[in-house]
Amino acid sequence: MNNLVIWPIIIPLLTGISLIFLQKNRVAQKSVAVMGSLISLFYALFLAYQVKTGGILVLQASAWQAPFGISLVADVLATLLVVTANVVATACLYYSFKVIDRKQEQFYYYPFLFFLLTGVSGAFLTGDIFNLFVFFEVMLMSSYALIVFGGTKPQLRESVKYIAINVLSSALFVMAVGYLYSVVGTLNMADLAVKIKEANQVGLLNTVAMLFFIVFALKAALFPLFFWLPGSYSAPPAPIAALFGGLLTKVGIYSLIRVFTMIFAYNTGYTHTFLIWVAGLTMVFGVIGAVASMDVRKILAYNIVSAVGFMIMGLGVFTTVSIAGAIYYMIHDMIIKAALFLLGGAVITVAGTANLNKMGGLIKNHPTLGWLFFTAAVALVGIPPLSGFTGKLLLIQGALGAGQYWITGISLTVSLLILFSVMKIFLYGFWGEAKTSLQVKQGSTKGLLWPTALLIAISLFLGLGTEFFYPYVETAAQQLTDPSDYINSVLKE
Amino acid sequence: MLHLSVIAPFLFAILVPFLRRYLPQTHTGWFVLPIPLTIAIYLSSFLPQIWQDEKIIRTIEWIPSLGINFTLFVDGLSLLFALLITWIGTLVVLYSAYYLDKKEALGNFYVYLLMFMGAMLGVVLSDNLVVLYVFWELTSLSSFLLIGFWYYRERSVYGAQKSMLITMAGGFAMLAGIVLLYVIAGTFSIRELIEKADVIMASELYLPTLILILLGAFTKSAQFPFHVWLPDAMEAPTPVSAYLHSATMVKAGLYLVARLTPVLAGTPDWLIMVSGVGIITLVWGAFIAIRQTDLKAILAFSTVSQLGLIMTLLGIGTDLAVTAAVFHLFNHSAFKGCLFMVAGIVDHEAGTRDIRKLGGLAALMPISATLAFIGTFAMAGIPPFNGFLSKEMFFDATWKAGGLDYGFLSWLGPVLPALAVLGSIFTFIYSMMLFFKTFKGSTKLDQLPKKPHEAPKGMLISPIVLGAIAVLVGLFPSLVAGTIVAPAAEAVTLVPQEVKISYWHGFTPPLLMTLTVVGLGTLIYWKLAGWLKVYAALPETLSINRFYDGITNYLPVASGKITGWYMTGSLRDYLAYILAAMSLILGFTLLSQGGIAFDYTNLAPIAPYEYLLVAIIVLAVFTIFFAQSRLVAIIALGIVGFVVSLLFIIFRAPDLALTQMIVETVSVSLFLLAFYHLPELKKEEVKPRTKFINILVSGAIGIIFALVAFSAHNTKLFETIAGYYLENSYKLGGGKNVVNVILVDFRGLDTMFEITVLAIAALGIYGLIKLRLTKKGE
Repeated sequence: MNNLVIWPIIIPLLTGISLIFLQKNRVAQKSVAVMGSLISLFYALFLAYQVKTGGILVLQASAWQAPFGISLVADVLATLLVVTANVVATACLYYSFKVIDRKQEQFYYYPFLFFLLTGVSGAFLTGDIFNLFVFFEVMLMSSYALIVFGGTKPQLRESVKYIAINVLSSALFVMAVGYLYSVVGTLNMADLAVKIKEANQVGLLNTVAMLFFIVFALKAALFPLFFWLPGSYSAPPAPIAALFGGLLTKVGIYSLIRVFTMIFAYNTGYTHTFLIWVAGLTMVFGVIGAVASMDVRKILAYNIVSAVGFMIMGLGVFTTVSIAGAIYYMIHDMIIKAALFLLGGAVITVAGTANLNKMGGLIKNHPTLGWLFFTAAVALVGIPPLSGFTGKLLLIQGALGAGQYWITGISLTVSLLILFSVMKIFLYGFWGEAKTSLQVKQGSTKGLLWPTALLIAISLFLGLGTEFFYPYVETAAQQLTDPSDYINSVLKE
Repeated sequence: MLHLSVIAPFLFAILVPFLRRYLPQTHTGWFVLPIPLTIAIYLSSFLPQIWQDEKIIRTIEWIPSLGINFTLFVDGLSLLFALLITWIGTLVVLYSAYYLDKKEALGNFYVYLLMFMGAMLGVVLSDNLVVLYVFWELTSLSSFLLIGFWYYRERSVYGAQKSMLITMAGGFAMLAGIVLLYVIAGTFSIRELIEKADVIMASELYLPTLILILLGAFTKSAQFPFHVWLPDAMEAPTPVSAYLHSATMVKAGLYLVARLTPVLAGTPDWLIMVSGVGIITLVWGAFIAIRQTDLKAILAFSTVSQLGLIMTLLGIGTDLAVTAAVFHLFNHSAFKGCLFMVAGIVDHEAGTRDIRKLGGLAALMPISATLAFIGTFAMAGIPPFNGFLSKEMFFDATWKAGGLDYGFLSWLGPVLPALAVLGSIFTFIYSMMLFFKTFKGSTKLDQLPKKPHEAPKGMLISPIVLGAIAVLVGLFPSLVAGTIVAPAAEAVTLVPQEVKISYWHGFTPPLLMTLTVVGLGTLIYWKLAGWLKVYAALPETLSINRFYDGITNYLPVASGKITGWYMTGSLRDYLAYILAAMSLILGFTLLSQGGIAFDYTNLAPIAPYEYLLVAIIVLAVFTIFFAQSRLVAIIALGIVGFVVSLLFIIFRAPDLALTQMIVETVSVSLFLLAFYHLPELKKEEVKPRTKFINILVSGAIGIIFALVAFSAHNTKLFETIAGYYLENSYKLGGGKNVVNVILVDFRGLDTMFEITVLAIAALGIYGLIKLRLTKKGE
């Protein structure tokens, strides 16, 4: 029993609520937002440290013993992701100060941002599969509000698709939970883990598992369910796109990792082989889209898809090393994707267009932006010593160690194509001859660069300081591959 | 201290932009110069230890939990490379201080150059393969940046991208190879891998490992057919070409092959791949070099070919071959560095590098001409220069390599010396071209953009030093034989080497081979115009460059086609894909994993009016399908909802029924309200095929979900937790309505956040409406 666990959900919630009442006062709004984000971030760090040193923390909500009430569980994976989510949200918040205009601020932009964080943190921390659905809804509802925010035509067009598909997936989620409850008779994840292991995951449970796969894969944008993503993520303003790119798909990935390591892990010959196939196809189709596009935002959006494939590859291979790789890669990707989307936004601001064919020579006037972008792109591809490398090394090590040769081959080929696709932005946007018409009207990057520089610094630290982070990730992976710790913490009397 | 020599260039690189900004009057090169010089002197101090056969190992822990430590290891081989990197680096920085104008972006240039220097030192000094790989990719990156130094030129960008894609492709392959080595032997340390060489050779993963690692080495060292990036890399400023693209970076692949020789060499696979690729590269590079008209392009292909020569020797791997490889590698760095610098001087002073416009410069630029003479004749393998000695050894090694085991390619052994001679003939020809076409013959001053004159003294220092080495080593090979070549060869073969290099061996096959080269070479050079016709006969479409361009151009187009085909932007298509995928996945799982369960025993009897209600639902659903107007469809949908709430009442769930009724009422009236304002649209015409697919997909989804629902209802593996709620809702929760107690107490957290969801929705809709309106008003 530990109240520490719920604060990462409560702090952003309270911040969001108080911001609703401050909508008229810009200064108060911003200062409360800054305070809320910092408190939330530092609290998350504190919690992560607590969990790493003191073991898994559990809160049985309203003191109803598991599995009858709702358990909130802070294991290492959950707290790591809460920290990362807070980092990303904070960077996006500061970036927003410069790009969200006063009118938008008045219509609850900041509250939505904090509610989104509430939902994301809740999804990471809950130990109950129906409660997971509830936090998904919190997160999705905020994302619906943010994606239409401002109500430009492309936003409205894309948000209809986004909302329709997510409503479908929410309905499926409830159905999946219903079927699961009917078969196993419980909703608590630890209890599910125990019972499905006992039942040896036979027959219908596999179909239910696949239904959960579909639900989460829709969120995570996996093949063949990612069609909604490239459009929706390139419509809203940069900080919102960054937030989505950094957080939303990753909640889907997190759920897949949670469900397919702790719960549905007893028929891996079927489920996880399937996951590897999906991972390969996701990578390939994602990167194909990125290679084809000449639109900065689309290139980045398709890269979300292919990156997601890498994480699922780690899950599919299903060894401690590969899961650790998936987690490391996921944390890296949350940070670097957010950074890239923010930088992409800055690129579009200074170039006045998202079309690479109309850009060129930006590095002359915007060297800092250029080099930040270059570094972020290099990190994305997984070139050492930035953060992408450690994750990729672990993934490859896991896959080759498990004899999964062809998926390794695909992942490395895809890496090369990712390089090709993001370097395109650098080569066409920053290098080459400056397009004269753009010299006249150019936006400024004032105040936009330091939040991204911060993210990139973290990425560098994640790469060089692997020795510092890896024990966390390794413990997280061990807690997943051997869930007895988790189960005992939740179900102990 | 040793680590500092790798890290110092990186640290100093951070300072460079500030030096450039605050001290713009002084050429930044002068500030940079002490860095390579200091490191060079420091590293040279290790030579006595190496002669004592000592090995220097220094470790800093980086990621010990993954077996990755920043361990530096100095032996003869790594020291040879480290000295080349730092000493030539010193000369190149000195040269660049004269070569590059102060108006250029010198800050960037020296940052990249220092990054490269540090990274390259890291590559050759690292004992850990992952660390080696880290630095390896950093050299690719800095090479990319240096090639794109003049980023506004299209050719520079093209060359930069090409080099990056090809070398990084190899890098990724190499990474996979490194991890495979780890999988086999459980370590990333080269020293430990050497101890486990027998395990690695015996492993079934040996061949894939070998291929992957060689891919890394071949792409980096510009071996056929990956050599195509090197000529385009010549867009970089000439000091860079001299440094990265002839003396150091392109030799990283050779280093890797030499370093891993004790781990991987000795099999027919190794021999065929390394020597085979090497000899093809040697011949092809030299053959193509003759066709070039740009000085730097000739030098680039010549570098390709010379790298192939050394690769061949490493592949053969006998003591003699390895010694020859090391010796030639050293010699090549000297004469090729010198030649590149001279080419840079010619470009700088005459304004062009086109040999068709150049000629007769010897009179105007006597020192440069002398240097070019030394360089080209050394390259052609003519005494008394250093190239002659190592080329003789090369011939000797190929001649004696016939007896090795070539596996299924048994004919390669005897052919090897012939190919070596062929490649050397071409080498002889382009070497002569380089010298005579530039410095001899008639001057065509009218064709030159600038009036040529001798370069400033400072610019000549570096090539003079390199030229002097070529001559001195040529005259007194013992200067380097025991001191540098032998320790390096020892590090590869792992047995002590006694290196004796002499001019005269008697009338041996190598001498005859050299004589053939000079004879035939002179003949062809004499009839060069005729020979050049050979190239016209080559099919243009077979060019590897075309292949590369084809891929890079076609890839986005093809990807665009694929993506455009399925990304239609239509919500209905996306839903169709999603539902189709879902029915396939779920249907397949259901059939293959089993679990379909029908069980009628446990069901309540169905009353006749219940049949009636269900019939109404079915009717209403079909009405939706065939409805011509939206209003009818909505009302029919409403009917479904209301009948469901009736069913709830029958099943004694009044609260559910109430909720359902409210939801239905509100949503139907809202829909009606909204549709009232929408324009009247004709029902869209759908192609029969699409319609058929849609019916198929929705039918499949319906059937599958019905099946799963039935089966889930009939599969009860465990007792549910519901009993606890029934038992305790009054006792512990204090409420008689179990549903209420569950909602507000047992699962109160859910309810709280569902309320939050509603609040967010309300705010969102408020914002959507208001913000839209204000925007319209503007």
